[in-house]
Amino acid sequence: MSETISPAPSAAPPDAEPSNRVVEALWLLVPYVVSVVLAFVVGGLIILALGQDPVAAFESVLTTSFNTRFGTVETLHKWVPILLCAYAFAIPLATGKFNIGSEGQLLVGATGGVALGILWSDLPMVILLPCVLVAGALAGALWAGIAAFLMVKFNVNEILSTVVLNFISFQVIDYVASQVWPDRGAGHPATTPVGDGALLPGIGDTPPFHSGVLLTLVLVVVIAVFMRRTATGFEMRAVGANLRAAQVHGIKTSRLAGAGLVVGGAVAGLAGSIEVAGVHGKMLEGMQSNFLILGIIVGLMARGSMLALPVVAFGIAVLEVGAGSMQRTAQVPVEMVLIIEALILLFLLLSDIVRTKLRGR
Amino acid sequence: MTTQQPPRLEMRRVVKTFGPVVALDSVDLVVARNEVHGLLGGNGAGKTTLMNVLYGLYRPNSGEVLLDGEPVTVGSPRDAIDAGVGMVHQTFLQVDNYTVTENIVLGTDVSGALRLDLDEARKRIRELSTRFGLSVDPDAVVEDLPVGVRQRVEILKALYRGARLLILDEPTTNLTPQEVDDLFGSMRAMVDDGMSVVLITHKIRETLGVCDRMTVMRDGRSVETIERSDTDADHLADVMVGGTTGPGELIDAAALGAVDAEEVEVTVSSVRDAVGVSVQGLVVNNDQGHELVPGFDLEIREGEIVGIAGVAGNGQVELAEALAGVRAVRAGSVEVGGRSMCGRPASAWLDHGVAYVPEDRHRDGILPTASITENLVLGSQRSPGVRRHGLLDWGAAKQRAVEAIEQFSIRANGPATPAGDLSGGNIQRVILARAFARRPRMLILHNPTRGLDLGSTRFVYDQVRVATDAGCAILLLSEDLDEVIAMSDRVIALFKGSRAGEWQKGTVDAYEVGRSMTGLGEARV
Repeated sequence: MSETISPAPSAAPPDAEPSNRVVEALWLLVPYVVSVVLAFVVGGLIILALGQDPVAAFESVLTTSFNTRFGTVETLHKWVPILLCAYAFAIPLATGKFNIGSEGQLLVGATGGVALGILWSDLPMVILLPCVLVAGALAGALWAGIAAFLMVKFNVNEILSTVVLNFISFQVIDYVASQVWPDRGAGHPATTPVGDGALLPGIGDTPPFHSGVLLTLVLVVVIAVFMRRTATGFEMRAVGANLRAAQVHGIKTSRLAGAGLVVGGAVAGLAGSIEVAGVHGKMLEGMQSNFLILGIIVGLMARGSMLALPVVAFGIAVLEVGAGSMQRTAQVPVEMVLIIEALILLFLLLSDIVRTKLRGR
Repeated sequence: MTTQQPPRLEMRRVVKTFGPVVALDSVDLVVARNEVHGLLGGNGAGKTTLMNVLYGLYRPNSGEVLLDGEPVTVGSPRDAIDAGVGMVHQTFLQVDNYTVTENIVLGTDVSGALRLDLDEARKRIRELSTRFGLSVDPDAVVEDLPVGVRQRVEILKALYRGARLLILDEPTTNLTPQEVDDLFGSMRAMVDDGMSVVLITHKIRETLGVCDRMTVMRDGRSVETIERSDTDADHLADVMVGGTTGPGELIDAAALGAVDAEEVEVTVSSVRDAVGVSVQGLVVNNDQGHELVPGFDLEIREGEIVGIAGVAGNGQVELAEALAGVRAVRAGSVEVGGRSMCGRPASAWLDHGVAYVPEDRHRDGILPTASITENLVLGSQRSPGVRRHGLLDWGAAKQRAVEAIEQFSIRANGPATPAGDLSGGNIQRVILARAFARRPRMLILHNPTRGLDLGSTRFVYDQVRVATDAGCAILLLSEDLDEVIAMSDRVIALFKGSRAGEWQKGTVDAYEVGRSMTGLGEARV
C-alpha cells in the first residue's frame, strides 16, 4: 500500500534543495505574522462594535511597554512568571504529558519561599536568598511530584491530577496567609513580609527591575541546553515524538514522563518564589494571576520550540501590560487583550491545516 | 484471444499525480478476455495505483478506461462493482464476528425488508465455491479462519457481485506454497469460465507460474507487455530493474522470487563454531496476556542466519521482541555472547550489541518528527561515543549522519530531514544504518524487506552479509518464504509459537515448510 504514497526514486523534488532553509523558515514564520495580524483585525472589529476607537486602543496596548520606564519594568516582571509557567507546561509536553497545574505549583513554590523568608528572616542575603529560591523550586517539584507519582505508579491521568492539585493549593495558601503568618492589617489574605535578605536586589534606578529577570535569562539558556544537549533531554523529546520507538530503544518512558512533570513543577515553583522575592515581598492570595492560562497559550504558540518560548512570552507580557493602559485611555475592557491572545492561538492552530493543504502533504 | 471481440479492459494514457509526484505517467494496459494478466513491478512502480484508479479509489488526472469496448467513468468502487470489476486488497475488509455468508452479502441488496433471508445467498456461495475451487464453509465465523481462507472469502465477495474482471493485489503474501497453488488453480478456473484476472505482484516466479501475459511497470510507466511463452525469469528481471543482473546476484534473485530457491547452490557460508545466541525454554505472552510462545529453544552460531518461517500471528512479534529485550519474558533464559540477558532493561540489551529491526517501522522504528541525525543517535544517546564534556555532540552526530546517508544511499535532502518525511524504503535504510552502526553481536530482522523496491531489498541483503561476515548472529523472521529459504543457513517453521520443523540450507523443501507452518507437517526437530 505504501506504493501509493512513496514517490518514485527519481521524482524527488529537485527544486526543493537550494533555498530549503529559507523556505522552511518562511513556512515557520509566516503563520505567526498572519495570525497576529488577523487576531488584531478581528479584535479591532470587536472594539469598533463596542463603539470605541481600535487604533487608539491598540496604540496604547502596543506602546505602553516601551514608552515609559515603568511600563518596561512591568513588562519584564510579567515576562518572568509567564515564561516560567510556559516552561512548566512545555517541558512535560515534550514527553507528551499535559501539566495544567502550574498555578498550583507556583503557589506552593511561593509558600516554600515565603516560609524560609519569614522563618530565617535574620540571615544575610547570600544565604537566605538562594535558600528561598531553591525552596520554591523544591516545593513546586514536590507538588508536581504527587501527580507524577500517581501517573507513573497508578496510571492516573496527569491532566486530572494537576488540575485538582491547583484547588488544593488555593486552600494551602489561604491557610498559610490567614492562619500561620497572617498580616492582619493587609485587608486581604496575605502573609507578613519576608526578611530583607530574602529580597531579590533591584537593577537600575527608579523603578528598578528585580534580578530575577537575569536569573530567568540564565534559565532560558540552561533549559535550552538541557533539552537539546543532554541525554535526558533527548530522551524526553524521543518519548514525546514516539513513545513506542523510545521504549524499543531502551528508554524508560514512564519514569521519564514523570521526571518531565517534576522538572516542570520545579520551574513553576521557582516562578512562585521569584514573585515573592522580587515583586511582592510576601505571599498573597491571587498572586497566581492568570499565569496558568498564559503559560499554556505561550507553550502552545511556541509549538515545542524551547527557543521560541522566551520570545512569545515577551509578546504576551507586552499585551498584558498594555491591557491596563488601554482600559484607561480607550475605555476598552482589559479582557479584550485575552480575547486577542486567544485569537492569535486559534489562527495559529488553523494555520496548520491551511499549511498542510497548501503544501499538499 | 479472440480477434473480433474488444478486450475485457483497456486503459489508455492514464496519468495520476500526487502533488509534485507523478505516480502514473501515461500508462497503457490491455487485458484480454479469458486471461490471467500479470502486473509486475517493484514497489513504487505504480501497479497498485493503476488498479486503484480502475477500481474508483483514485480519480485519474487524464486517460480513458474501456471495459469490453465501452468507455466507462469510474468515480467510486460502487461504480466499479456495477461495471463488473472486483478487487481483493492486501488487507481484508471483513467483519470479524460475522459468518462467511454474512460478510459476502454485506452491502448487497438482500431481499426481504424485515427478515434477512440468507438461504439463497448461501446456495450461491456454495455453487461459486465449488465451481472455482474456493472451498469455504459458508457458515464459518470469519475470525476463526486462517488467512488463506479469509482471502477466498474476499474473492467470493467479488464473484458474488458479478465481477467479470478480478484484480488481486499481492495475493500470495502470507500464503503457504500449497495455498498459493490452490489460488492459482482457482484463477485458472475463473478465466476458463470467461472471466479475466489481473494479478498484481512483484514476484517473477508467480507471474511465470500462472500468467498468460504480463505487463511490467517501472517508475509509473508501463514498460512492456510480454507473452508468457516469449520470456523467462532472467529476461523479466532485466525488464523489471531496467538493467542487467550479474550471476553473482543469484541468491538475491532467488529471494526476489526470480528463480526457485532450491536451485541455488550454497555459495558462501560465514557460520563460525562459537555460539552467538542461546535461548532456552523461552515463554512469552502477547499484549493480552495470552501465552503465545510456550517454550522456545534456539541456538544461533556467530555468523549464522536462522530464518523463521511462519504465517503472521504465530508468535513472531512476541518472539522477536523478547529476543530484542523489548518484551518481558515469562520464563526461560536468553544468552547473548555468553551473558545472560533476561530481566535486564532494554537499554542493557542494546549496549550489549543486540540490534532489532522491527516489523512496524513507523510505530517501533523511528521518531517521525525528529531529524535523521537524531534518529541515528536514538538508543545510543548515553554511550560515550556520542558525547563530549557530558553533553551530546550534535556536530559529530551530524557528520556521522552525513556518512550514513552516503553509505546507505538514503534519499533525503540532508541529515536534518525529519524521518517521517522519508519513503518506506528510506526509513528502513535509516533503521538499518542505526542497527549496523552498533556493530551488533545479534541482529533481529523482522520482515526487513517488506514493501521495499528491488534495489533496497538487494541492499538489505548485502548489509546482512556484511554483518554475518563480522560474526553477527542473525535471526530473520519473514512472511516471505522465498526470502527465508534463500537467505538462511537454517530454516525453522513456526506454528503457534513452537518449532514445527527445521531444515539445514540446501535441504529445504518449500512445500514441506508450508505444511509445517500450518501445523500439518511432521516435526523434524
